[in-house]
Amino acid sequence: MGWDPVTPGLRAQLRGLRIASRRSSALRGGGQHRSRDKGAGLEFSQYRGYEPGDEPRRIDWKLYARSDRFFVREAERDSPLAVWIVLDASASMTQADEARPDVSRLDAGKALAACIAEVALRQGDRVGLVALREDALVFVPAAAGSRQRERLLFDLERIRADGGVPEESRLRPVWDRIAADDLVVVLGDFLDPAVPDLATRLAAARREVLAIQLLAVAERDFPFADGRRFIDPETGEALPGDARTLRAEFLARFGAAQQALHARFGEAGIRHAVHILDEPLLQPLRQLFAAGPGGADA
Amino acid sequence: MNPLLLFPAGLAALAALALPLLIHLARRQQQRPTVFAALRWLQARPRPRRRIRFDEAWLLAVRLLLVALLALLLAQPALLGVVDERPRLLVAPGVDDAALVAARSDPAVDARWLAPGFPSLEEAAPVGGVATASLLREFDATLAPTAPLAVLVPERLLGADAARLQLTRQVEWRITAGGAWPEPVTDAAPKLAIRHDATHRDGMRYLRAAALAWADAEDATVDVAESVELPAQDTGVLAWLHSGPLPDDVLRWAQAGGQVLLPADAEMPDGHAPAAAWRDECGDPLVRAAQAGQGRLLQLAHGLVPAAMPQLLDPTFPHALRDLLQPAPAPTAVAAADYAPGTGGLAMAPVPLDLRPWLALAIALLALLERWLASSRRRGAAT
Repeated sequence: MGWDPVTPGLRAQLRGLRIASRRSSALRGGGQHRSRDKGAGLEFSQYRGYEPGDEPRRIDWKLYARSDRFFVREAERDSPLAVWIVLDASASMTQADEARPDVSRLDAGKALAACIAEVALRQGDRVGLVALREDALVFVPAAAGSRQRERLLFDLERIRADGGVPEESRLRPVWDRIAADDLVVVLGDFLDPAVPDLATRLAAARREVLAIQLLAVAERDFPFADGRRFIDPETGEALPGDARTLRAEFLARFGAAQQALHARFGEAGIRHAVHILDEPLLQPLRQLFAAGPGGADA
Repeated sequence: MNPLLLFPAGLAALAALALPLLIHLARRQQQRPTVFAALRWLQARPRPRRRIRFDEAWLLAVRLLLVALLALLLAQPALLGVVDERPRLLVAPGVDDAALVAARSDPAVDARWLAPGFPSLEEAAPVGGVATASLLREFDATLAPTAPLAVLVPERLLGADAARLQLTRQVEWRITAGGAWPEPVTDAAPKLAIRHDATHRDGMRYLRAAALAWADAEDATVDVAESVELPAQDTGVLAWLHSGPLPDDVLRWAQAGGQVLLPADAEMPDGHAPAAAWRDECGDPLVRAAQAGQGRLLQLAHGLVPAAMPQLLDPTFPHALRDLLQPAPAPTAVAAADYAPGTGGLAMAPVPLDLRPWLALAIALLALLERWLASSRRRGAAT
């Protein structure tokens, strides 16, 4: 086994999550994604024991007659849902906190991406990956299966954050490959407006978009108390200043910007969550993908 | 009690107070580069407020105090007028035992031996008779002018000198039985041996004549030889009238306790710094002397001819030479009753109490505190 940020403990917690598309259920009328296990043309895969929450009509009654136990038929087929993970890999993602310099935004983004892929692949959905980097777009076409998982992990590990956000012209593969009604999870810091722009345009173009914003503790608390030279990793621009005098102003302005961003996502119908680097990784996933008994109502 | 500075110019070192201030300021201007992607929300205040601020106020305070105390140390602080007015009792060694017991029994009195260092009376009796008068003057001069002083002396007192005692205060002069007159000084003439070479044959005669003059007897002889053979060690004085460097065995003879008289053309061995021991009327040295082990090396400044050293023909020459070789001890014994000190001595200016040792201790403690503050873990967390 190579690099895998999804630890066994994390994997156990991921069991409770379910990725569901709001849009497909709305457009295709009632549980398209959910109903993959039944209907014509299905290939039988396996029986499994009945679990509370399974619909009674999925129980194989003939088998029950023979074995006196409840079994549920499970089948496999191509999922109509493709999950695309769009990871911002611009230089601003390299930022880490002074308290934990080994965990950058990008590391958290990679781990979240791996978790989403894990959940989606377990559901049998197809998963693809796009990493937005100025010079080279990392692109993994959507596919299902455990080999896809290996491939995603392989490519995720190699992503390095550098430069800015790619220009519009370089984003063609994004528009070509991500089909309408696909589910897109955008991971990034959203400090540069280019990535939120992309997310809103994708949402406007009938893609189901979810956004997870990765913020450093420095942006939430601004814990500096001495003289600093703040350097923007993307532009290289530097701002010397006394952190104590800058703090209140920054927190107010940044909070306002965050509210504006959230409002914008809300208007565009983008479900969003914020992950701050010192918080548990699973929190934004729970917020977005919590699986109720009904499923796609997150 | 007046605090004062013995060297107020040392306070100029207070200028060094600027150093810790500068250090704590400089740290502020040193800005740590910080990667911060949300820079665009930070540019609201292009000019940070320029207000003088210091990091780590406690550490700065300790450092300022440390520098200030060091400057104070240079200024030599002292306290004037710290008076210790306890009654004092000085006991000369040799007093009668009953008086000693009585002196030890009074706790209100600071009783000490009248001996070098003024040891406490609780200690065993030191050797007495050494410069008693001089010690008494010293003790009186360093004592606060109002402190009463009593001196307990045996009726036969040793260590007096030629001047009468004149102290700054009225001293209670208690005389007890005890003390002993010193042994009479034996007045035997020194034994002189002369070893000479050919060139000093004439000069030798003056020394031989002087040595014969010391002896009263008609048939006295002097051990004279034109050789390098050493006389017996108990001879006392050897006139080594040879030119050139001093042989090692002669030097060893001197170091074993003898006195060696050298002519002007002999070479004093290295490592001996002779000082004038006998001067003529003009103050020019006639004989220089240097200590060598237990004994002495003496060297004549001029040749042993009357033209160079007219004192050779002086009738008092044997006497002067004898005084040089065997000085008569000064009389120091006195009847205590006749030696009671008078008043009218010149009082010394009061000696201020030097505060520097205490200040140095405070500085050392403060330096420790500074190191602790500067290296403690809380400091890393605070920044």
